[in-house]
Amino acid sequence: MSVEMAAVFIGSTIRLAAPLMLSASGELLSERTGVLNMSVEGMMLTGAFAGAVGAWATGSPMLGLLIGVVAVIPVALLQAVLSITLRANQIVTGIGINILVLGATTLAYREIFGGRSRAEIPGLDKWAPPGLGDIPIFGDQVFQQAWLLYLGLALIAVLAWVMRYTALGLALHSAGSAPRAVDKSGLSVNTLRYGAVLFTGMMSALAGCFLSIGDIHTFTEGMTNGTGYLAIAAVIFGNWKIGRTLLACLLFGAATALQFQLPAMGIEVPSALLIMLPYLLALLAVGGLVGRQTAPAALTIPFVR
Amino acid sequence: MSTLLIKQPAALLAFLKARPAMWIAFLAVAAALLIGLLLVHLIGVPIGDAVAAFAEGAWGSPYAIAASINRSLVFALVGLGFVLADRANLTNVGGEGQIAIGGIVATAVSLYGHVSDLPFGLAFLLPLLAASLAGGLWGGLAGVLKARAGTNEVIATLLLSFIAVWMVYGSVQSVALLRQPMTHSNTLPESLEIPDPTKLPLLTDDYSMPLHSGLLFGFALAIVVALVLNKTVFGLRLRAVGLNPLAARRAGIAISASVVGVLFAAGALGGLAGACMLQGEQYSLKAGFSSGYGFDGLVVGLLARGSVVGVIAGALLFGFLRSGGINMEMVAAVPTALVVVIQGLIIVILAGAALSMQRWEVER
Repeated sequence: MSVEMAAVFIGSTIRLAAPLMLSASGELLSERTGVLNMSVEGMMLTGAFAGAVGAWATGSPMLGLLIGVVAVIPVALLQAVLSITLRANQIVTGIGINILVLGATTLAYREIFGGRSRAEIPGLDKWAPPGLGDIPIFGDQVFQQAWLLYLGLALIAVLAWVMRYTALGLALHSAGSAPRAVDKSGLSVNTLRYGAVLFTGMMSALAGCFLSIGDIHTFTEGMTNGTGYLAIAAVIFGNWKIGRTLLACLLFGAATALQFQLPAMGIEVPSALLIMLPYLLALLAVGGLVGRQTAPAALTIPFVR
Repeated sequence: MSTLLIKQPAALLAFLKARPAMWIAFLAVAAALLIGLLLVHLIGVPIGDAVAAFAEGAWGSPYAIAASINRSLVFALVGLGFVLADRANLTNVGGEGQIAIGGIVATAVSLYGHVSDLPFGLAFLLPLLAASLAGGLWGGLAGVLKARAGTNEVIATLLLSFIAVWMVYGSVQSVALLRQPMTHSNTLPESLEIPDPTKLPLLTDDYSMPLHSGLLFGFALAIVVALVLNKTVFGLRLRAVGLNPLAARRAGIAISASVVGVLFAAGALGGLAGACMLQGEQYSLKAGFSSGYGFDGLVVGLLARGSVVGVIAGALLFGFLRSGGINMEMVAAVPTALVVVIQGLIIVILAGAALSMQRWEVER
C-alpha cells in the first residue's frame, strides 16, 4: 500500500466513522443515565432529512444544520415521554419510532422532491486545522474534512469532561447506576434522563446531517440504513466507556472503508462480505468476544418513585 | 357468538370491556388509520380515489385476495415466533434475517438439492424443512449468545438480520453461489427459477387465485403454538423463565436450554416464512427478497399481546394493508411509505398505552 493509499484509507475511515462517533457518544450518555435509546437510527434519519431539506430550501447548509437539530426535538421528546414518563418498553418504543421516521421521511421526501430525485443540495464546507492541513498528502486526505466533524469532536471532548469531572456528570452516571440515591439526594432522575435523551437526539441529528449535507450532499430514502444500530453496538463494544466507544466507531468506519479500498488495491472480495463486515464485527463484540460487559445497572429500567 | 356481537352493540361493548387489551389495540389501529387518511388528504390525493385504489389492491379480485392472504401467512408465521419468544420475555426482532436465511436455503435445496424427483411431495417439503432448520439455527444463535455471554437478544437478532439480508445480496451476485448462469452480459443478479415440483402446490386450480398450501402449515402451526403456550409444560416453563428467571432456576428449569430452544423455534418459524415466500410466490431469489416482511411480522406479534388469535387477526390486517398500500402507490400515487407510517404509529401508540393497559388489567 502506497503512502497515498494509506492516507486515503485513514481519511475515509475517519469520514465514515464520524457519524458513528457523534451518535454513539450521544447514545452513550443516554445509556449511562439508564435509557436504552433504540431510536438513534430514527433520530439520525430525521436529522439527515431535515438538514438536507433545510439546506436545499434556504440555500444555506448552516441553516440546514440548525433545522436538522430542531427537527429532531419532537422525535427525542416522543422517545423520552414514552420511555421515561409512560415507562414503555424502551426497545419496542425505539423500533416503533424508527419505523415511523422511515415512513414519514420517505413520504415527505417523495412529496417535496417528487421527480427531482437526487437534487443537488448545498453542503457544509471542508476545513482543516491550521498546520495539520499543510502536511503533504495527509493534510489533504486525512485532515481536510467537513467542519462538522471538528465541531463534533469538540462536543465529544466537552461531554467526556462533564461526565468525568463535574457534579452534573456524577448525577448523570448515578441516574443509570443508582437512581434511588439520586432521587434521595433531591435531584430528579427523570429530568436527568429527559436531558440525556434530548442530548442524544441533538448528537444523532448532527450525525444525520453529517451523512446528508456533510458527506454526500444529497438525501436518499432510508439513507442511515442501520448506522444507528451500529452506534448502539459501538457503545456495547466500548463497554459504556467513551474512549473505547470511539475506538469501536473507528473500527467500524475502517471496516466500511475497506469496501472502497480493497477494490482500489486490486483485491477481489465479494462486496456483500465487506458491507456486512461492520455488523459481523459488532455481533462478535456484543457476543462477548471482547470481554464481559458491564452495563449500567438501571439500563432499560424505568424509574418509579 | 359473532352474529350476536354484531346485532347487539351492548354485547359488543361488554365483550370489549372484558378485554381491555383488545380494545386498546383496536383503538390504536383505528387512530393510526385515521392519521393515514389525513396524510392522504394532505398529500392532495382525493380520499375517495385512494380508498378505491386501496380496496381494489387489497380485496378487489380473487387474485388480490389470494396475494393478501399469502402475505398474511408470512406475517403470521413471524408473529407466532415473536409471541412464542415473548412468553419467555425475549424480544425476537430478527424475523427479517430469518426470512432471508429461509429464502437462501429453500432456493439452494430446491435448485441444487436433487429433490425434484422425490415422491410424496418431498420435493417441496424438504426445502421447507431445510429452510426452517436454517432459520432456527439463525435464531438459536442469538439464544446461544444470550445464554453464554448475556448478549441482549434484541441487538443480536437485529445484527443477525443485517448480516442475513446482505447474505442474500451476496449469494445472488456470485455464479459460484446462487446466481443464475451468465448467458449474456445483462443476466440479472438473481437465482434460476426453482423447478415446478419444488413449488408449493396451489390450493385452487389455477393462478387466478394463487393461494398456496403453505397456508395449511400456517394453520397447523398456529394451533401447535397455541397449545404449546397454554397447555404444555414447556409453555409454563417459558412463562416462568420470562417472569422470574431466578425463581425459575431455583425451580430446576434449565434456563439456557429454554432460551436457546424458544429462539430456535421462533427462528424456524421465520425460516419457514421465507421458504413459503420463495416456494409459494416468488420462485426465484433476488436481492431485497425479505422486503421488510420480518418487521411487519414483528409488529403483528406486538399487536397480538401474546394471543395466537391476535396474531392471525393482526397478520390479516397487515396483509391486506400492504396489498392495498402497494396498489395505492401504483394507481393513486400515494407512496406505500404511508403504510410504514401507519405501522410505526401503531407500535408507538401501543407501547405508550402498555402501562395504562396493565393498570386496567390489574384493577379488574
